[in-house]
Amino acid sequence: MSIEALAAQLAAAHRERTSVTIVGGNTLRGMGRPAATATGILSTAGLNAIVEDAPADLTIAAQGGVTLRTLAQTLAPHGTHVPFDAPVASEATLGGTLAAGWLGPRRHLYGRPRDLVIGSTIVLADGTLARAGGMVVKNVAGYDMSRLYVGSFGTLGVLAQVNLKTLPQPERRRAFAVRLPEHTRGRAIAVLSSLRVPPAAAFWIEGFAAQIDGDDGLEGRLLVFLECSATILEAATRDLRSALGRAGVPETRVIDAGVRESFERAIDAYVACIGERSITYRVNGPLDEAENAALGAIELARRFELRTDSLVDVMNGDVILRVSDLDARALGSKIEMFDDALHDLAPRAIVIAGNHPSRPLLNVWGALPEGFERMRALKHRFDPHGVLNPGRFVGGL
Amino acid sequence: MLHERLIDALGADAVKTAPEDLAVYAFDAYTTGRLPSAVVLPRSTNDVSAVVRIARAYDEPIVPRGAGTGLCGGAVPACGGIVISFTRMNRLLEFDPVRRRARVQPGLVNLELSKQIASSGLFYAPDPSSQKVSTIGGNVATNAGGPHCLSYGTTVNHVLGLEIVDERGDVFQTSIDDTGYDLTSALVGSEGTLGIVTAVWVRLLRQPESTRVWLATFPDVEAASDAVSAIVANGIVPTALEMMDRTAARAVEAAFHAGYPTDCGAVLLIENAGYEDDMQACESALAAIARERGATSWRAARSQNERDALWAGRKGAAGAMGRISPNYYLQDVCVRRSTLPKALHAVEEIARTYRLTVANVFHAGDGNLHPMLCYDKRDPSQVQAVIESGNEILRAAIALGGTVSGEHGIGFEKREAMTAVYSTDDLAAMARVRDVFDPQRVLNPEKIFPSGSACPEVRPQSA
Ligand SMILES: Cc1cc2nc3c(=O)[nH]c(=O)nc-3n(C[C@H](O)[C@H](O)[C@H](O)COP(=O)(O)OP(=O)(O)OC[C@H]3O[C@@H](n4cnc5c(N)ncnc54)[C@H](O)[C@@H]3O)c2cc1C
Repeated sequence: MSIEALAAQLAAAHRERTSVTIVGGNTLRGMGRPAATATGILSTAGLNAIVEDAPADLTIAAQGGVTLRTLAQTLAPHGTHVPFDAPVASEATLGGTLAAGWLGPRRHLYGRPRDLVIGSTIVLADGTLARAGGMVVKNVAGYDMSRLYVGSFGTLGVLAQVNLKTLPQPERRRAFAVRLPEHTRGRAIAVLSSLRVPPAAAFWIEGFAAQIDGDDGLEGRLLVFLECSATILEAATRDLRSALGRAGVPETRVIDAGVRESFERAIDAYVACIGERSITYRVNGPLDEAENAALGAIELARRFELRTDSLVDVMNGDVILRVSDLDARALGSKIEMFDDALHDLAPRAIVIAGNHPSRPLLNVWGALPEGFERMRALKHRFDPHGVLNPGRFVGGL
Repeated sequence: MLHERLIDALGADAVKTAPEDLAVYAFDAYTTGRLPSAVVLPRSTNDVSAVVRIARAYDEPIVPRGAGTGLCGGAVPACGGIVISFTRMNRLLEFDPVRRRARVQPGLVNLELSKQIASSGLFYAPDPSSQKVSTIGGNVATNAGGPHCLSYGTTVNHVLGLEIVDERGDVFQTSIDDTGYDLTSALVGSEGTLGIVTAVWVRLLRQPESTRVWLATFPDVEAASDAVSAIVANGIVPTALEMMDRTAARAVEAAFHAGYPTDCGAVLLIENAGYEDDMQACESALAAIARERGATSWRAARSQNERDALWAGRKGAAGAMGRISPNYYLQDVCVRRSTLPKALHAVEEIARTYRLTVANVFHAGDGNLHPMLCYDKRDPSQVQAVIESGNEILRAAIALGGTVSGEHGIGFEKREAMTAVYSTDDLAAMARVRDVFDPQRVLNPEKIFPSGSACPEVRPQSA
């Protein structure tokens, strides 16, 4: 499919007052509310061309339906990457990942996905094409429209093409698997962000045994990823081990083989579902509160007699909590009340995965943001007939 | 009446109305606009709200103003109105070293922030060369860059949230962690046309453990830009990669005695910050590329003093131009980094055609050119030549796939050039955002968007 064909489809929907649900790789289908009205499906899968690969500029332009895996494979020979860290990279699309405002665990080191976006072509609700930015890495000619589209959940337009700044890949990666006895947890988490070479990613994990490596018995585990030059790797390794040792951690196992795969498994766990028996929440909060936020949410789930798997992105303060029960019915009987209680505790918790039929009844976007009235006005100005993903985003945007 | 209402709300010492006082606020570092009806100096967000309400009642447009160092007429009252100057809202409101962030008022001078928090080991990364004077609010409104945004990114990457007074005088907060649309990013770089920034949450970074600065000299700017392109193409992104040509280096040396060689065609100032252990390898890689591309010398700054002197010279380069020319016009375009040699060549040709001296001091690593065209404003033919060659440089940049502003903004100066890079539909999408935030066009009117409106002709002025 061409961008023009996509534009024609939207123009027709706009004219005929129908609406469309935009689908990329469908990897984040567990996010957002169901469409408010019956809609047609608009798939970006056919928009899968690398438009311009410009390694000498450290930039690349790709269509919205290109998968993150394809993007990574295109960039790998140049020694560069765009570390978006969205789940299921083989299916997740560039446009979908950006539209969903995905935030990965390495953003504290490499920046947010939006910070790598230098230009875009968007198809607006009436089928008009609008470009923003370009292929230069600095550009203040007019409003930064691309950043507005990032995180708009497909409700302002369809990201047909995205131009990106690429980053040099780190020379070395190394992973560390650590058993984390409860009494060591607080200190172990705290030391990680003050290390001389801060890890590229670090997860405190409880559960997710089927998804993520490491056997933690009843206690949690840490999975830490270093990314740095060859020169500094050994020193960084020593520092990390001794800092964790001082925190009381019994043993730190180094993993050098399959580091990337092990990292991707952790990312994939963000949206891994247990059939129809689970719902996964994400709570982004301050770094220094992440441990307590996670413990509070886990404790709450226990009170509802829900099972939990949790993953805390220690470098950014994100908490991923998957609650589940023995069967879908048991989950269904509790999940709405749990959802209310969780939002009392963490008003901004959002749902990022779950196939349970009750998911549409949950407060999947959390509390309304302060600027909501303006967001609504923006939506109205960009899509007055509600063609794009009607009702799916926060507050029904 | 307007004046009385403003004085009632803010106090007499916070309102300027005398023509001789107002004249100062008709300028920025690029141009002159009209005399404003009044200038106000609010002390608080409430003051700003009050001013906006009064302005609306009297149908006066509003022009926010930081330090007035803008280079595109952004802060000049294009159609008169009330200038809101933020010089008195210049405090660091909150500093949270644990969460590495701070909340500041918009009038806080950029360098002041890093100075005030220096002992914590943290710093604020965006460092426009005007940082000794320009304000965080002005930086946010222009999405200012600077030498170090090569690796740290521009201002927008360091803004966590904003407090905004809107076009009705109401206050709202934004945060990049909000669900919903990223209003923060839309507001950053909007040059005062979408809202008035009354507080900023900024992200702070840990000071690097080691910083090195090197100088490489080249026979000409083409060779130096070739080296820059090669460094980037090799996947090396140092923290700063700045170029100065001979004309600029001579002016800087005359003014600062900073230590720049003046006998070469061009010099690269390269900085890398990071881990001590990585510095040797980084230097070897950079020096090898430089030599391969024809560098005639390579040396490292030996001390903190030497590094500071080089940076002071670099950041003072525009000011040093007074040594070689009565006036200069500073152009700002950005091209793909691989096209730098072509772009520099085009600039040279254009200057030659118009018989103008050009000095280049710029953020080479980003492909962000800043040719400074020397002229004497008393000679109308030179003024005309500067205007025309400035436009030719824009056209040359566009022809190379570049853009008409890398960091200074569009303001009043470049609004007509917007149609050369964007289609009507592209601009219409931007206008939709404006429609939502400022439907009446009362916030900094006649900026960014092209228009054939009846405002005074604006020309470059003496700097
Ligand atoms: C010598 C020199 C060197 C420079 N070097 C650089 C550089 O390296 N990188 C770079 O990016 N720029 C540079 N500049 C340009 C200029 O300094 C920047 O654009 C700077 O961000 C302007 O800040 P200011 O406080 O002076 O703002 P002003 O010039 O007062 O205003 C700039 C714009 O911001 C708006 N504005 C100001 N405050 C607010 C507010 N609180 N709310 C809403 N809108 C507001 C104004 O209306 C105007 O549109 C340089 C300028 C000079 C003179």
